[in-house]
Amino acid sequence: MAPTATANESPAPVDADFSMNDAADFDQPIERDENDPANRGWLQGAHSIKTLPGSSETAASFQFVKEDHTLGNALRYIIMKNPDVEFCGYSIPHPSEELMNIRIQTYEGTALDALEKGLSDLIALCDEVSAKYVGAREAFQSQVAAV
Amino acid sequence: MSQAYQVPTVAPSTTRDVAGDGPAINYLCGDCNSKVPLKRGDPIRCKECGHRVLYKERTKRMVQFEAR
Amino acid sequence: MAPNGAKVVASQAELDRRKVVGVNLETVTDVTSTDFPGHWPGEDHSWSIEKFREACSVQFYKRSNLETEFSLIGVDASIANAYRRIMIGEIPSLAIERVYIYNNTSIIQDEVLSARLGLIPLTLPGGVRKLKWCAKPEEGEEVESNDSNTIRLSLKIACTHNRDAAPGERDPLKAYHHAHVYARDIKWIPFGNQVEVFGGEDAITALNPDILIAKMRPGQVMDIEMDAILGVGSDHTKYSPVAPASYRLLPTIDILKPIIGADAEKFSRCFPPGVIELQPISKKEAAKAGSGYEGHEGEKRAVVVNAMKDTVSRECLRHDEFKDKVRLGRIRDHFIFSVESVGQWNSDELFLESVALLRNKAEALQAQVRALPQ
Repeated sequence: MAPTATANESPAPVDADFSMNDAADFDQPIERDENDPANRGWLQGAHSIKTLPGSSETAASFQFVKEDHTLGNALRYIIMKNPDVEFCGYSIPHPSEELMNIRIQTYEGTALDALEKGLSDLIALCDEVSAKYVGAREAFQSQVAAV
Repeated sequence: MSQAYQVPTVAPSTTRDVAGDGPAINYLCGDCNSKVPLKRGDPIRCKECGHRVLYKERTKRMVQFEAR
Repeated sequence: MAPNGAKVVASQAELDRRKVVGVNLETVTDVTSTDFPGHWPGEDHSWSIEKFREACSVQFYKRSNLETEFSLIGVDASIANAYRRIMIGEIPSLAIERVYIYNNTSIIQDEVLSARLGLIPLTLPGGVRKLKWCAKPEEGEEVESNDSNTIRLSLKIACTHNRDAAPGERDPLKAYHHAHVYARDIKWIPFGNQVEVFGGEDAITALNPDILIAKMRPGQVMDIEMDAILGVGSDHTKYSPVAPASYRLLPTIDILKPIIGADAEKFSRCFPPGVIELQPISKKEAAKAGSGYEGHEGEKRAVVVNAMKDTVSRECLRHDEFKDKVRLGRIRDHFIFSVESVGQWNSDELFLESVALLRNKAEALQAQVRALPQ
């Protein structure tokens, strides 16, 4: 595909110099190839987020369009790991609507901050899992080759 | 006074005497599956086996489906 | 109010105990994870990438083109499940989407035949990235098909009498030509630069040539063209690249009191082969008071050698002689993944792809969260 390193072709920095700083550098815009079919599957249609009515700074509900349990439960878990969060839960209001709601209530900081931190943590987690997987695969391959 | 009964005039017939012309259309015999070309007015009967049930052929037009 | 700072540190034994989901004869216990801030007073369970790096590990058991087996250890079920769901439903693959039927006089109806054709797995040398996404057209618009996003296939076949067949032959396969229509009869019609891109005139075929599509009799014909495009499994299973991707939790078997002799023999038969081994009781063990082995020197005892092979059938819990002698469980954060590819992806790539997809999704959503009004 594109000669530039896209987010997809290098899901995680698996080089020897992999470090937390690489993974946590979220402010770097990562070039995403819109034509990469691996990206396009879920990019179909509008994936938008909005804040639901009745939300305050520290207690808000967010609605995700075209998301389901896949992101909902993973995000709920990682947001619940934040000690500033008093409550986090997700729901799919109706099975035939492609909507997913996340409710966040915080002790400190805003709900929006907690949501953003949740997404950052999820990215970092994915990078780590990727690195671990690639490492184990290489180790297994050399082990098989040695036998 | 009252009018005498008049025999109503029959409307002109819509059936035309067309036997023998028009294009031949292929049908399939329900028994022996042979092709039976029929023109308008022909007896509905297979020329091979005499079976009286004939089927229309499938449309020659392309039909599009979703593979779902 | 937030429980800041770790004052209490749970012992390793306690942490190990918390990881076990109990499996009893009729019930399960401790099913939900409790590693959240505020659950255990004074303990620090907040998210930390360093802690995660320490806890998370991957172990491979099998790696071939179509099948990969590995353990993902130290992650929560919600994360492992997200990866599993993405592998099944969100990683794209190629399948037949549009079917143009010019003729079909077989007894299989057009729409049923179309559905069958859609489910046939296709090969795609070089993988999914060689193709672009073919967007669904808006209402009233034409599909934008071109050589970069569409694979054209054809199925043109007629059943005829076999003149060389023995008179009175009853086997349709011998009496007729093409009595059975197989997936191998589907031919690729490359157009544009597709021959160069995918390499060869017959690079794209059905993965398994022996899939039976229909049975025909002399005189019946099929003349069909098909367009295959990329799609995702959440839209239709035919697009799912795995068959299947699943995980199970690592079973644990704890023998609490010695199981000896004939009981040990019976105990080992409660499990699949290779889980329990019968080992002789040594002199030293038999001499140790309170071990339960006293006076049993040389007899066999049951030892757990490979709990991973267990299917957790709970058979051993049904017998009274093993009551209070065994405890079954599963490790909550040890996921034994089994990923079987349908053929367009290498099976070991699929998991990586699912991780990348979740990551990219989170990243795209993060940009949107930042754009939300505070």
